[in-house]
Amino acid sequence: MLKLTNVTTGYGKLEIVKNISFQVNNNDNLCIIGPNGCGKTTLLKAIAKVLPFQGKVEIDGTSVTSMKHGEVSRKIAIMSQTSSLYFPYSVYDTVMMGRYLHMQGEFFKTPSKADKEIVMKCIEAVALKDVKDKEITKLSGGQLQRVYLARTLAQEPEIILLDEPTNHLDLKFQIELIEYLREWSKEDSHSVIGVLHDINLAMRLSENLMVMKDGKAVAEGKAGDIVTGSLLQKVYDIDVAGYFRGALKRWNGGCE
Amino acid sequence: MKRKITISIIISILALLFAVALGSVYISPMDILRIIGSKLFKSQLPEAFSDTNISIIWNLRLPRTLVAFVVGGMISVSGAVMQSVLKNPLASSYTLGVSAGASLGAGFAILFGFSLPLIGGFSLPVMGFIFGLGTILLGISFAGRLDKGFENNTIILTGMVISLFVNAMVTLMSAIEREHMQRLIYWQMGSFSAQDWKNLFILLPIAAVGILLVFHYNRELDMLTFGEEQAKTMGVNTKLVKWILLIAAAALTGSAISFAGVIGFVDLVAPHVVRKIFGSSHRYVIPMSALLGGVFMVICDLVSRTVIPNQEIPVGAVTALIGAPFFAYIFFSKRE
Repeated sequence: MLKLTNVTTGYGKLEIVKNISFQVNNNDNLCIIGPNGCGKTTLLKAIAKVLPFQGKVEIDGTSVTSMKHGEVSRKIAIMSQTSSLYFPYSVYDTVMMGRYLHMQGEFFKTPSKADKEIVMKCIEAVALKDVKDKEITKLSGGQLQRVYLARTLAQEPEIILLDEPTNHLDLKFQIELIEYLREWSKEDSHSVIGVLHDINLAMRLSENLMVMKDGKAVAEGKAGDIVTGSLLQKVYDIDVAGYFRGALKRWNGGCE
Repeated sequence: MKRKITISIIISILALLFAVALGSVYISPMDILRIIGSKLFKSQLPEAFSDTNISIIWNLRLPRTLVAFVVGGMISVSGAVMQSVLKNPLASSYTLGVSAGASLGAGFAILFGFSLPLIGGFSLPVMGFIFGLGTILLGISFAGRLDKGFENNTIILTGMVISLFVNAMVTLMSAIEREHMQRLIYWQMGSFSAQDWKNLFILLPIAAVGILLVFHYNRELDMLTFGEEQAKTMGVNTKLVKWILLIAAAALTGSAISFAGVIGFVDLVAPHVVRKIFGSSHRYVIPMSALLGGVFMVICDLVSRTVIPNQEIPVGAVTALIGAPFFAYIFFSKRE
């Protein structure tokens, strides 16, 4: 179970996220939506203890502040937005990095047979077995995104934080990714906190939604209860509902 | 991979052997092996072996070549670490001011005849080492104060600022003490002349400890190339690891150049070639940079002492002649 109480965070003296509180129970998910720059990614970084924060973040009742860094990473993994790549690691080696905290060895950490099996399982789960020896600098954006997902899964966390995971993915892989994570979150004591731009995908991944604007939570609850045309217009400063009504009409052969 | 490593080791041994064999007098590799064998196992050599040749091999070329090999390995490993930790393929200890600091230390020793108590003759390398390491420590701690997140850009920029400042001090010192300027400039271009077994035995343990320490963090180095945040979320204590690795790299370069003078570009060339051949994983990059960087330095030293008969050119000039076009190649291919 993940619980946030009045979390405020940012960079230096600049507060990006202000007083966020929520709770996500085991096998539940939460999706966070909101316009660019509203603090979604910054909030994820605070949860994973990458950024310092005020307030309280607890995992199963234990404050992450009192946990060592490695302990937090055993519980929480982030699948980040694609970063710049400078060195051409193989897909296999990149996914193996997710096993870092699990590897044994007195002086040199070496992967065990179990580590290797888990890595292969994760690579197969994201359908990258055929390119496991390929250099990641030669992959498409979508393939790279799947490598990062495999690495996140290899970490075997209880909670996965997704930071716009569907970027670069085509529709098929977007749907497959969301369905895979839905199933994953039903196992053991897993949960997913996802930052997504696509409201439909967000609602598919989780019933629970939090809508952010200017670093604050402007709405929180069951998606069916809170997502309204007026809320979206308020958050995105555009008639989102009207736009999609028009699109739906066009897809159905009607005219505007 | 095993095949590539085996071939590299064989090429390295051959390169070392030929570097010892070639020079003003050619001595065959077989003779070299017999001379080494006789020295190690205290056996008698046939009378055909002249004392001069034995002395050339045992007292001059062998220690010189081995020091060049160790120095090349140390500098290359240091370069590989800097590039990965700072996530910048063009970074090196020099970027962070090691050479500038070492030059300042050497400047004090050369220009003002500054001598440290007890170690007398070693004052020049020791001063170079202390000042080189001191400069990078100053840069890192300054960066840490400016930016609590210890971001790479802050480290690089701070290093460059301090490096420029220290370089200006060296120039000022040279301008004031003109009669010693030539010696300082020669030291800044690097040389392996007058290296002996004593220097090798001082460098060897530093190289062994430094490279092993860096190799201990090979997994962390891999993860740091993806950026500090990603490494952190995978469980790496990035702040501590970065500190340890930067200081280890600075100590490797600082001690190497304190004995051989400032030699650039090896730390840039060797890790890049190694990454091309063996991939990016640091469990190969570190040991193979040590091996191939060492061999590259040995070859550059061989060129420096044989390309012009009866004259030696600074090895730093040779490494730069090969390194500069390579640097340009990396820079422009990145832009494309």
